[in-house]
Amino acid sequence: MSTTSQKHRDFVAEPMGDKSVTALSGIGETLGRKLEDQGFDKAYTVLGQFLLLRKDTELFVEWLKDATGANTRQATSCAQCMKEWCDAFL
Amino acid sequence: MLFLSFFLYLSIYLSIYLSIYLSIYLFVFLQMFLSQKTNEEISKLLADYGIKHGPIVDSTRKLYEKKLEKAMETSPVKPSSDKTYYREEEEEVTFITYRNPVKHEGNADMLKRRGNVEPDEDEESDQDTEPPIQMTNRAANHRAVRSREPVRKSGGGIWKVIRLLLLLAVLAAVVYYIYCHMVNRNENPFGNQNQ
Repeated sequence: MSTTSQKHRDFVAEPMGDKSVTALSGIGETLGRKLEDQGFDKAYTVLGQFLLLRKDTELFVEWLKDATGANTRQATSCAQCMKEWCDAFL
Repeated sequence: MLFLSFFLYLSIYLSIYLSIYLSIYLFVFLQMFLSQKTNEEISKLLADYGIKHGPIVDSTRKLYEKKLEKAMETSPVKPSSDKTYYREEEEEVTFITYRNPVKHEGNADMLKRRGNVEPDEDEESDQDTEPPIQMTNRAANHRAVRSREPVRKSGGGIWKVIRLLLLLAVLAAVVYYIYCHMVNRNENPFGNQNQ
């Protein structure tokens, strides 16, 4: 996890505001659509879930895998993104 | 001889069937047992097993059920020493009640000396409130550590029994297999002799 994607840096750089769920690193179009189908249409709804899990990245990864069928790399990337955003802005 | 073999055969079959049936039944039962509980009961169980958890709501419940299931598999017996848990909770409560007057004092001081040296007072009030907070943290840590220890010690219970039964079944199957071979070997020479 030493290297981070451009998407990750973009997301962590500023408040998420009204960004779509696909702005999260690790969440592409396919996973984004699956999340939207479950009501997680904005990035802040996913943040809500992350916070409900007490910022526990392990549980969050498990949830993301279960809910969207994401692989470990994608889910971990998203969790890392969430965690760093929280560290910066919460 | 015939009676003995029959008895062996029967006992082996019985133990195999019993262990498989029991393990499946218990596994299903555990899941049913969790999914039928209310959110509050789930959170209480999580606390009993020393698992830190957030709010149990629709979107998080499934995850916590899984986690609880895992915890129950590795250490199925509830920590019987509920006393320690409650006692330490009381300790936390006393800390909280102790904190309130301190805060009030801080506020009163601030009201009295208002306008003179505000930043200093802020620092003072911070210092006043900080130690109790650390104390509560320590208490919480103690609770987590203490509630985990008995779980690990008492670990086993139902799942140990199941494992034991499965082991027994496998052992019995092996013994039966060997026994069959022995009988065949014994029978063949006899057959040759007879012919």
